[in-house]
Amino acid sequence: MPPRSLRIAATVELVSLAVLLVNLATAHWAPLSSLIGPVHGCAYLFVLVLAFRSSPSPRVRLIAWIPGIGGALATWSRVWTVRSRWRA
Amino acid sequence: MTKLLLSVHVLAAVIAIGPVAVAASMFPAALRAATPDQTALRLLHRICRVYAGVGIVVPVFGLATGSSLGVLGDAWLLVSIALTAAAAGVLGLLVLPRQRDVLAGVRVEPSRLAAHAGVFNLLWAVVTVLMIVRPGSTTGA
Repeated sequence: MPPRSLRIAATVELVSLAVLLVNLATAHWAPLSSLIGPVHGCAYLFVLVLAFRSSPSPRVRLIAWIPGIGGALATWSRVWTVRSRWRA
Repeated sequence: MTKLLLSVHVLAAVIAIGPVAVAASMFPAALRAATPDQTALRLLHRICRVYAGVGIVVPVFGLATGSSLGVLGDAWLLVSIALTAAAAGVLGLLVLPRQRDVLAGVRVEPSRLAAHAGVFNLLWAVVTVLMIVRPGSTTGA
């Protein structure tokens, strides 16, 4: 299992991107963009830092760089299940 | 919206940078004790490490605030950004790795740790003053 902090950051990264895109396609309300934009930026950076801190796997570390969905992909990586099997 | 962005930026700066400044300064003092308390050292290092991560919020929301105010090209802001980058470098490349060395049992001079913490705190003090004084800015005191 990836650490809880990484899962939270990945969720925020994905959800904030969805909010931004939906807002862009519909109302395009500027205040929402200017608030959620930085939130998404923070989530992206948190995902990067947490991925590098929580896994030595080059796969997880590379995937985390992917904008928008990198965090979600990193938490779904089978690296985590492989590692927990080693531990067991 | 600028006011909300600025509030998040300032709140994050107070909450994230404050603990790092205090814990980084307390670390060498705790190390100087005749028999350094490992639990205390580990806790201080943890505070520095975790709040350094939380500190990511500060520049991100700072840039958002600056962009919504249209001041990203101002000299005082560019200098602040450079100093913030320098402070992040001091924290990530000097303070945290040396603390990790101490916890791993490597001998590190407390004075060296204190100097790094001092430089970090000084950089932040200068950035804070720049944020308030904003030399050359016309957006009011």
